[in-house]
Amino acid sequence: QNILIVCFSVGYSAVALNHVIDFKEKKQEIIKPVSPSELFPSLPIVQGTSKRIKVLTRLTLVVSDPSHCNLLRSTSANIRLYDVIAVYPKTEKLFHIACTTLDVDLVCINVTEKLPFYFRRPPVNMAIDRGIYFELLYTPAIKDSTMRRYTISNAISLMQICKGKNIVISSAAERPLELRGPYDVANLGLLFGLSESEAKAAVSTNCRATMLHGETRKTACGVVYTVKKPRKVEEEEATMPACKKAKTQA
Amino acid sequence: MVRFKNRYVLCEVLSDDPRCRQCIEERAVGLAVRDAIGRVHGDYGLACCSVSFTVKYLNAYTGMVLLRCRKDSYRLLCSALPFVRHLESRAQRYPCALNTLHVGGTIRTCQKFLIQYNRRQLLMLLQNCTNEEERQCIQKSLLSCSLTEEQSQSGDEEDDDGTE
Repeated sequence: QNILIVCFSVGYSAVALNHVIDFKEKKQEIIKPVSPSELFPSLPIVQGTSKRIKVLTRLTLVVSDPSHCNLLRSTSANIRLYDVIAVYPKTEKLFHIACTTLDVDLVCINVTEKLPFYFRRPPVNMAIDRGIYFELLYTPAIKDSTMRRYTISNAISLMQICKGKNIVISSAAERPLELRGPYDVANLGLLFGLSESEAKAAVSTNCRATMLHGETRKTACGVVYTVKKPRKVEEEEATMPACKKAKTQA
Repeated sequence: MVRFKNRYVLCEVLSDDPRCRQCIEERAVGLAVRDAIGRVHGDYGLACCSVSFTVKYLNAYTGMVLLRCRKDSYRLLCSALPFVRHLESRAQRYPCALNTLHVGGTIRTCQKFLIQYNRRQLLMLLQNCTNEEERQCIQKSLLSCSLTEEQSQSGDEEDDDGTE
């Protein structure tokens, strides 16, 4: 809770609380996320504007086996309660699957050890087209010197493939002092090889896009597309998903 | 006109420990920042940044620090500021974090920013304060803060012309 208070005082307007699920143990159930209203009776206001700060919930799946991905497709109700879903692939095949077919918002890039696989351009480009963002953590870099080297080398190799698009920098802070303000995080992006505007986007616009991606994943089931026909009789034709039939009135 | 161009970086020191506030001094902060630059950018970075590096202004009560460096090397300095973890003074180490607020070309722009920032902080404090006297105190100081030539509320510093 202290961490959240520091976040707000430093100037962030939306925070996501992370819950990590590791599949090493046999059976893991997805727990219901902690509702933000339990932590704060009333959320404080963002500095400078008059809106309240948003606290979102986020789930990270550490996958090392393709069978773990089935969990995402299952209709377990608890997954739907999370706002943002992230996946942390451990092998190249899983990275490919995560970028192309899995229904997630973020793909986490390992920063704590040397990557076991190299990034290839096709899955990265497909992920960019689908609107999936790659995430880098910066707190290990602050804590430890060898982590810093791995962070920077992994980040730079990612930059060379994706040219700085679709990057989100986030902190995995466990203590309030490990958190850094948004201006500082954008400066860290410069160290990772981003240009100045890309680094600022990595903290602001890309994160907002991830939030919206999560919302659409939660709510959208189909698309309604209305076209006005150029006739005197005013008729609207609507195409609806297969579960509903269109009612047209002539 | 040939003159040295500087960048002034305004930071705020955040810490858990209330005793840390007392030991914020120019030497301690300067050493901590230099140490962080040395760890992140190595000998080259340390040498580049220390050409015209000083702590220009320090306010221990609010934790504001104003650093000066050359325009060519301010990126090295800014990117190393998140890596400052401790402040050391009088054989005591306190964990802390530096939050960059503003980078400006002159002390005057940083001072203007600082006044606005303090005004916003005072407004937030005003919402939270419970005592009537504190409320009046804060309201009085809010109405009276402005950029004047004499000592203003945000601090006193002489104008740096930039010519050395």
